[in-house]
Amino acid sequence: MQKFLKYTFWTLVIIFVLSIIGCNGCQKQNDTINIPQNISYQEDTEIYVANKAVVDKIVNSFPSPVEVAAIIKDLDVPFSKKYLVSPDIIENYDTNVKKALGLGVLSADLGYLNVYERTTLIIQYLSSIKRLADDLRIGQFFDFQSLKRLATSNDNLDSLIFLSLNSFMQMNQYLQQNARGNLSLLMITGVWIESLYLMTQVYKDRPDDKLKELIGDQKTLFTILYQGLKLYKGDEYFDKILHEFQKLDKIYSQITITYEKVKPEKNLQKNDSIPVYQQEETSVIHMSDQQLKDLINITEQVRNKLINL
Amino acid sequence: MKRIVFITTLLAGLIFMFTPQKANAQCKQQMVYACATKGKSIYLRDFNTKLRSNRPHESSARWTIVLNKDAHYRFTLCTMDGYEDKVIMTLYDSQHPEKTNPYGSTYDPKTGKFTDSFDFICRKSGMYYVSIRLREGVRVRKTCAVGILSFVGSTY
Repeated sequence: MQKFLKYTFWTLVIIFVLSIIGCNGCQKQNDTINIPQNISYQEDTEIYVANKAVVDKIVNSFPSPVEVAAIIKDLDVPFSKKYLVSPDIIENYDTNVKKALGLGVLSADLGYLNVYERTTLIIQYLSSIKRLADDLRIGQFFDFQSLKRLATSNDNLDSLIFLSLNSFMQMNQYLQQNARGNLSLLMITGVWIESLYLMTQVYKDRPDDKLKELIGDQKTLFTILYQGLKLYKGDEYFDKILHEFQKLDKIYSQITITYEKVKPEKNLQKNDSIPVYQQEETSVIHMSDQQLKDLINITEQVRNKLINL
Repeated sequence: MKRIVFITTLLAGLIFMFTPQKANAQCKQQMVYACATKGKSIYLRDFNTKLRSNRPHESSARWTIVLNKDAHYRFTLCTMDGYEDKVIMTLYDSQHPEKTNPYGSTYDPKTGKFTDSFDFICRKSGMYYVSIRLREGVRVRKTCAVGILSFVGSTY
């Protein structure tokens, strides 16, 4: 008995020491950058460390892939498949950077399909996204079987959107926590350019003043994203994206946004007693018809170039 | 013998203390899911955090978000049972500070009332902050809270 207790005691001592060492290792993982060998992207570690906080902030703050689609549907715009990229495009993606950007583009399209409840197409897009996620070693956050089941059953839109977006957020978080913020930024870039493309294409078919404002107002998001991408200047793939974004920058720099006070609208409080707060300052977009036309054309060119880089 | 039992218990306790508990400290996914799907608005993202009053840096959490102009958003807060009046979610920015003049909050200091949701009509695209924090003076060893951002509609 005495021997047994002594044995137990020393076993626990060893476990304790190992757990302390292990925990220190966990702590270090957050502080140091360990870029996996099989990531094709070669970056300067010092620059990465310096920029990590900025990139994380940009990525975490960006609107979800569903938001623009929800706004468009709210404008009573009918569904059209022609706005979407083909899910087969993933066959062209042979590097991690291309896959990350493609994952963002397809996620934006999936958001559009989810909002419009296009079951058959959703499964095709889910399959492509799953393949890209597996290749990027983040497939464990993508519950393909549950998503497929939800997509094929009706009345599960809420769950489907939740699980899709939750998977997207978890993949992003994992990339950031594992020193692959560059891929996370590319995913967000893919979502944003596809969302802008969606807005501009819908406007081409159904001109609408409010949609025009939303397109011009994307200058705010563009500026944030452009600054983030510039942090990776010098990398071959990012340089190609920056080259394309320069074209957008040329147009967006001509568009100005000013701010003015507005009176809050009355009677916004609904019966469900949820308090409604309104901003008393609004942005005014100054964009000519020619500038809008140029922006629509350039967005189409840039988006098509990016998905085929 | 007694000494061995004491040291063994002590070590077991220490191991438990040093084992990373981050995964358990945040709210479980079932709670996030229940919170995200309880309304009619479209889920956009969640803010999941642990809260402890005895660790100042863990008594609140903050996220940066980008909101779009002319969108009607809903912010919903879900807490553990019994914590409904102990946790506050607030939307603010640098011009509308969290403590003095936020855009919206689940707690109204004028009336002292708590709500689990509030709506925000965004009139300018840009960066905003969302915070979830324990109400001042509340003593909690460990709890968690989930905030949900959802889309109600356009204000067109």
